[in-house]
Amino acid sequence: MDEASHDPNARVPLRMTVRRDVLRGLKSGVLTFWMLARVMVPAYGAALILDRLGVIHALARVAGPVMSPLGLPGSAAVPLVVGYIMNIYAAVGAMTALHLTGPQITVLALAILIGHNLIVEGAVLRKAGMSGTGFGVLRVVAGLAAAALVNVLMRVL
Amino acid sequence: MGDLVRTFLSGTWDLCFKVFVIVVPIMVVLELLEGTGPWRALVRGWSRLVGGLGFTEETAAPTLVGFVFGIAYGGGIIVRDTKLHSLGRRQVFLMSVFLSMVHAIVEDSLVLIALGASAIWVVGFRLVWAAVVTLVLGTAAAVVARRRVT
Repeated sequence: MDEASHDPNARVPLRMTVRRDVLRGLKSGVLTFWMLARVMVPAYGAALILDRLGVIHALARVAGPVMSPLGLPGSAAVPLVVGYIMNIYAAVGAMTALHLTGPQITVLALAILIGHNLIVEGAVLRKAGMSGTGFGVLRVVAGLAAAALVNVLMRVL
Repeated sequence: MGDLVRTFLSGTWDLCFKVFVIVVPIMVVLELLEGTGPWRALVRGWSRLVGGLGFTEETAAPTLVGFVFGIAYGGGIIVRDTKLHSLGRRQVFLMSVFLSMVHAIVEDSLVLIALGASAIWVVGFRLVWAAVVTLVLGTAAAVVARRRVT
């Protein structure tokens, strides 16, 4: 198979370390998957229930006035809040339902890219010893700030 | 109610399948790469790049994984390395702030660029923003920690 390595002493240990590494990777991969699934699945279920209870739409209505400093219509709050609670793909789905200009898409995209999937990813951060809620708030605030800044910068530049 | 359960079950299957096919290969590849020359060079280059933000080399590796693959998929490595190297609270905090501002740089960005967002702002500006926020909050946290000691 490998023409370059004729030295049997060099080949055998390499093959053994590769096998050891693959086995070790498979083991930690499955363990990691199990750890993530236990965190993510309940969070996903919670997001589904919040959506069903109309919490997402209520939040979007409250967030409407916050959209104007971003140069966005109030309806843009829907994909934003959908993204916060669900994920980027759900937000993109909600975004396609709106008629936004190019710059508006960029501004909204930035806010969504910084803040999304807060329940699931917050659960992961909590697992690392951080505050999931604290970082959720940080991502919402910093995402809106970045979007507002870009809204201004795009006009100036 | 029935359709909610059905949505939950098919969504859970989707989520688990995606996480599994992404996480397991990442772990195998990482296990193979770790300790090799190119990987060490990559981590060293990356840690020099983000070292100015206060990251140590041990934190730079999981940060790089989260930066590329995202918090959800990279989360396994983040949690593992946090325990394995017993990264200090400050390092985990810096990593969390940085990754909160920017992660899954390839996949997430592409999805929104495909929708019509400008790549310069969504990628370029976001990187600068992440660096600034990490620097500001890292400095603030250091000041608070020092106050608490004295």
